[in-house]
Amino acid sequence: MDFKDYHKTAGNWRLELARNARKTKQVIALFFLIYCFVGLIVDVVVLQSMYPGGTLSVYLKALLTFKAVPYATIIMLIIAWISLMITYAMYDKIMLLGTEYREILPNNAQSLQEKQLYNVVEEMKVASGLKFMPKVYLIEANYMNAFASGYSEKSAMVAITRGLMEKLDRAELTAVMAHELSHIRHQDIKLTLMVAVLSNILLMVIDVLFYSVFFGRNDGDKKRDNSIVMVVMILRYVLPLITVVLALFLSRTREYMADSGCVELMRDNDPMARALLKISEDHEANADAYQQEYGRTPHEQVRQASYLFDPSSIDPIKSLNNLFSTHPAIDDRLKAIGFKKK
Amino acid sequence: MSSFLIAILVIAGLLAVWVVSSYNGLIGMIEAVDNNKRQIDIQLDRRFKVFQSLIEAVKQYMDYEKTTLKDVVALRNQATAAQASGDEKARIAAENGISKIASGLSVVFEQYPDLKAGQNVLQLQEEIVNTENKLTYSKQAYNDSIERFNAKKKSFFESMLVKFFAAQLDKTYEYWALLEGQVKVQEDYTVKF
Repeated sequence: MDFKDYHKTAGNWRLELARNARKTKQVIALFFLIYCFVGLIVDVVVLQSMYPGGTLSVYLKALLTFKAVPYATIIMLIIAWISLMITYAMYDKIMLLGTEYREILPNNAQSLQEKQLYNVVEEMKVASGLKFMPKVYLIEANYMNAFASGYSEKSAMVAITRGLMEKLDRAELTAVMAHELSHIRHQDIKLTLMVAVLSNILLMVIDVLFYSVFFGRNDGDKKRDNSIVMVVMILRYVLPLITVVLALFLSRTREYMADSGCVELMRDNDPMARALLKISEDHEANADAYQQEYGRTPHEQVRQASYLFDPSSIDPIKSLNNLFSTHPAIDDRLKAIGFKKK
Repeated sequence: MSSFLIAILVIAGLLAVWVVSSYNGLIGMIEAVDNNKRQIDIQLDRRFKVFQSLIEAVKQYMDYEKTTLKDVVALRNQATAAQASGDEKARIAAENGISKIASGLSVVFEQYPDLKAGQNVLQLQEEIVNTENKLTYSKQAYNDSIERFNAKKKSFFESMLVKFFAAQLDKTYEYWALLEGQVKVQEDYTVKF
């Protein structure tokens, strides 16, 4: 993996951005449908306990034509909305948990590099037309990584490790920061949080449903429709898998978008490609040392999906299966910004 | 008959929602363009101040500064006068003149080894690069916001809305660009040592 091994083309960031924005919409729509579907299944079970004797299709038809009010679905949507609002309000600084960090301000930079770091973030802020300056944090760690969090004036931040700051040149540093600012302006944090919260509610609901259908009071001779039991059972085992795969697909889509967003801001795909290659080379070269260092840092899992470079991909077993990865493979990311492997 | 009426009402309702959201979207884009234009002014103003203090700081090393400072001030005055009289083209020309002096400053640093070696000058160079980048990126952001607005304004359906609310929505913005003659000059320009 060397920079010389790739053919450089101009790449089309407008197309990439549009394509991934479309994919996001599809995933969100699918997710919403699954959520409503599970809500309806809950309603069916409730209806069945009130008016026994019908079949799955009869109950569903009654709910979909509003002959019966889908209370459970509505309640689930309200719960989702409230928990999202609470999560958005409480979510601040969780991302830095466990690391040793320091905020960089224009007047407390201790070296030229730190000043440069603040400057490039400011440059990218101007380029993206953001209305606020995100806080800039420097994490005292040797591995090369960076992440962004937040979406508003209050919570927006970018964090970068000292290793990354020292090993990249100015243009590459700008590219990394453009990638992170793109996460902020695309509101990826909000999206990731939303999917996480909704998935958890969904899994809790289906668990409760599963136990109430199988172990709940079964009033003697009331005949249950077997297809309802089947649907609940299948959902209970398939849903966790579906939500995880959807969330990871979304995460990879947003990574592609942030890479293209970086090219949009810099109008140059070279620095991003060089930075990505440098980081992955560096992670390969120091795999053991970095794995120990990541391992020593508590709460590493809260950052994994937000990182510029997924540290778990050092581990060959984990990276085997792209379906279960938060980040696309480096070659795929490079291809999306116009670098084809020779 | 009544279901027909309901259908009409629903369509009218959807249309109203579309008109309001498109109108608000376009207004947001117009304001973004205006704000981004002011952002260029902010960056130009910042550059003028930064360069003045930079030139002050390197004065002790070179006599180059006297003419340079005069040039910067003269160009700045031209730019301000042009801005006041609304002559956008003359203003762009004057601002581009200041840009050239910036690259001249970098070259001057190269000629003074003891100056170049110092940490101070590295800081100065970082300051110059940062200042010029911010200015460039603010121009880019301005052009990007014009692109977004124009694409929306000229697209089908929205163009009809724009015609209907011509006074509020039908704005024309010129992309920030070099003058025709200047493109050639800038393209041929190289740094000579």
